[in-house]
Amino acid sequence: MNRLVVTLGRLHLKNPILAASGTFGYAREMEGKVDFAKLGGIIPKTVTKRPRIGNPPPRTVETPSGMLNAIGLDNDGIDHFIAHHLPYLKTLPTAIVANIAGKTEDEFLEMAEQIGANAPLPEGEGSGVRGLAGLELNLSCPNVSGGVDFATDPDVARRVVAGARRVCPLPIIAKLTPNVTNIVPIAQAAADAGADAVSLVNTFIGMAIDWKKRRPILGNVTGGLSGPAIKPLALRLVYQVARAVKIPIIGVGGISTIDDVMEFLVAGASAVQIGTANFFDPTVCGRLAEQLPQALEQLGATSVQEVVGQLK
Amino acid sequence: MPDFAQLLAPVLENRRLARDTYLIRLEAPPVARAIRPGQFVMLRLPGSTDPLLGRPFALYDTVICLPSTSGRGVGGEGDTVKPPLPNGRGADIDAPGAIDIVYLVVGKLTGLLSQVQSGEKVEVWGPLGNGFPDPVGQAKHVALVAGGIGQTPFLAHIRELLGERGYGGQVARPRAKRVSLYYGVRTADLAAGVEDFRQAGAEVHLASNDGTLGFHGFVTDLFEQHEPPDHVFGCGPEPMLHALAKIAERKGIPCHLSLETPMACGVGICFSCVTPVRTADGWDYKRVCVEGPVFDAATLHWET
Ligand SMILES: Cc1cc2nc3c(=O)[nH]c(=O)nc-3n(C[C@H](O)[C@H](O)[C@H](O)COP(=O)(O)OP(=O)(O)OC[C@H]3O[C@@H](n4cnc5c(N)ncnc54)[C@H](O)[C@@H]3O)c2cc1C
Ligand SMILES: Cc1cc2nc3c(=O)[nH]c(=O)nc-3n(C[C@H](O)[C@H](O)[C@H](O)COP(=O)(O)O)c2cc1C
Ligand code: FES
Repeated sequence: MNRLVVTLGRLHLKNPILAASGTFGYAREMEGKVDFAKLGGIIPKTVTKRPRIGNPPPRTVETPSGMLNAIGLDNDGIDHFIAHHLPYLKTLPTAIVANIAGKTEDEFLEMAEQIGANAPLPEGEGSGVRGLAGLELNLSCPNVSGGVDFATDPDVARRVVAGARRVCPLPIIAKLTPNVTNIVPIAQAAADAGADAVSLVNTFIGMAIDWKKRRPILGNVTGGLSGPAIKPLALRLVYQVARAVKIPIIGVGGISTIDDVMEFLVAGASAVQIGTANFFDPTVCGRLAEQLPQALEQLGATSVQEVVGQLK
Repeated sequence: MPDFAQLLAPVLENRRLARDTYLIRLEAPPVARAIRPGQFVMLRLPGSTDPLLGRPFALYDTVICLPSTSGRGVGGEGDTVKPPLPNGRGADIDAPGAIDIVYLVVGKLTGLLSQVQSGEKVEVWGPLGNGFPDPVGQAKHVALVAGGIGQTPFLAHIRELLGERGYGGQVARPRAKRVSLYYGVRTADLAAGVEDFRQAGAEVHLASNDGTLGFHGFVTDLFEQHEPPDHVFGCGPEPMLHALAKIAERKGIPCHLSLETPMACGVGICFSCVTPVRTADGWDYKRVCVEGPVFDAATLHWET
């Protein structure tokens, strides 16, 4: 058996290195730059029910060891995604996990159902076309109807995850926001509702100011902080949830080196997503997958699973 | 984009050209072979987390040089930018080994870059972006209008237009009979590369905001005083590009603009570098790093 293989509920990946949503485009942009076959998986940019123009620029600003972004979920909507991006994504030699964000619970379920129609066909019925490997729910965007983020309220998170499981046959991953007082009950709610895994975490809300002009730098005023600056914060959240909740975790936040990957695995993540590092090191994902076997050897491990959560 | 490469490039030289303006020569054969005028590369200081992100820089020119393993003695001509070999001479004519970037010190990365010594390494990836399109068929006279540090993409462009050199593996072929460069700076000591542009065969017209060099005033006004070309290309700060687009529209001159929009990734995956572009039913934000940086001025929707 390949020792890099990881299993997250019903989701099977050839290795634990995934490209994070919103930081790898729709993969097409990276063709010829990254050997997709080396990756455990790719999560394309979040899609929404309707096209969204996104926020006015400037949409990103660099901060010490990180960056703030307020892209505003700029995308052409789920119908365009299914018509134009999915056919390409399905040809790639790696697991593709779609990522959706609804403004309401109903929107989440409608989209989950649409995405679910792209699950792999049962043996024999397939025409050779690969299906999607999973669905990640971006629970970190403002819930317009309820006025709170989906992943700041355990009950809302539970309903969305349970609903998605009902309407979509794919493995379900709940991506949580760190902008809460306590993330554990929310991760627990996602687990109770049948999520196959949780992705921890999305960006930390922050702000940058030009004091001479007395103006915020981002067009949207506030934005999400990502990059090496948030790694210790994300690591703590992964560790905390790993100890409290029995659900596979995908660690995300500031990972850019093989050491970072190993830290997240040891803290309790079964897989990791690489986000901002793709921006400043476009070939990083493939390289991390190549470096992983040697790092495992250093711990005398024969599989990834052997090191997950092995913090002493 | 099969020609893409990311590498740690040895610095062959890094010298001052004008006030706060430097030329850095990087040994990066795969990038040098593939890149075309108007395309750009991202530069980053290896391992640095502050600045963390790469920064976009236009190709100034590619350099034919012998490959080196030591990172020393390449180009080998002291201070001057090695002139391109005339087409057809030299076996390595299609295989440039280095790229020149000309940069203005404005902040974190460019400040640190100006301190880098020959032999040190800089991370580079590219080529990126679309590059300049051919001028309209049978273009006899092409004008290039540059403001501030916007002159940088035009050296290679002049050489390509006049058929002195081919880029990206293409054979050299003339695309214009005559090239005029209108280059405006704030003040005289910021002008960089003027001799290179003349040597490349452009008719150079200079302007400065304070009258210390050439025409006293905006470069777009200087451009307007001359006979209209068959096609105009512009690069510089947005207000200048706006003015140029208006003149081109009024006079019916085909116009392409290279934007200097700030970028985070340069490869199309972050959606930060957007600019409003006209669509069939209004406008939409498009990514400058992949759909540009060169746009047909008529497609830009700047009113928003
Ligand atoms: C396609 C393209 C090609 C370019 N080619 C060149 C080139 O050949 N030579 C060159 O010198 N520069 C070029 N630039 C601009 C260059 O990328 C910026 O000057 C550089 O990113 C500044 O980095 P820094 O870390 O020194 O400044 P920072 O510390 O990041 O910023 C310093 C200040 O400059 C502002 N700033 C940063 N980037 C830009 C920008 N792109 N436009 C306007 N203001 C900005 C910031 O808001 C800040 O106020 C190009 C830009 C693009 C998009
Ligand atoms: C520019 C940018 C855009 C992002 N867009 C999305 C998105 O569309 N959907 C999503 O679930 N996460 C999005 N994220 C969050 C990342 O997937 C990731 O959770 C976060 O950036 C932390 O990881 P990092 O530090 O490795 O970047 C985005 C992050 C950045 C920097
Ligand atoms: S700079 Fe990232 S999409 Fe253009």
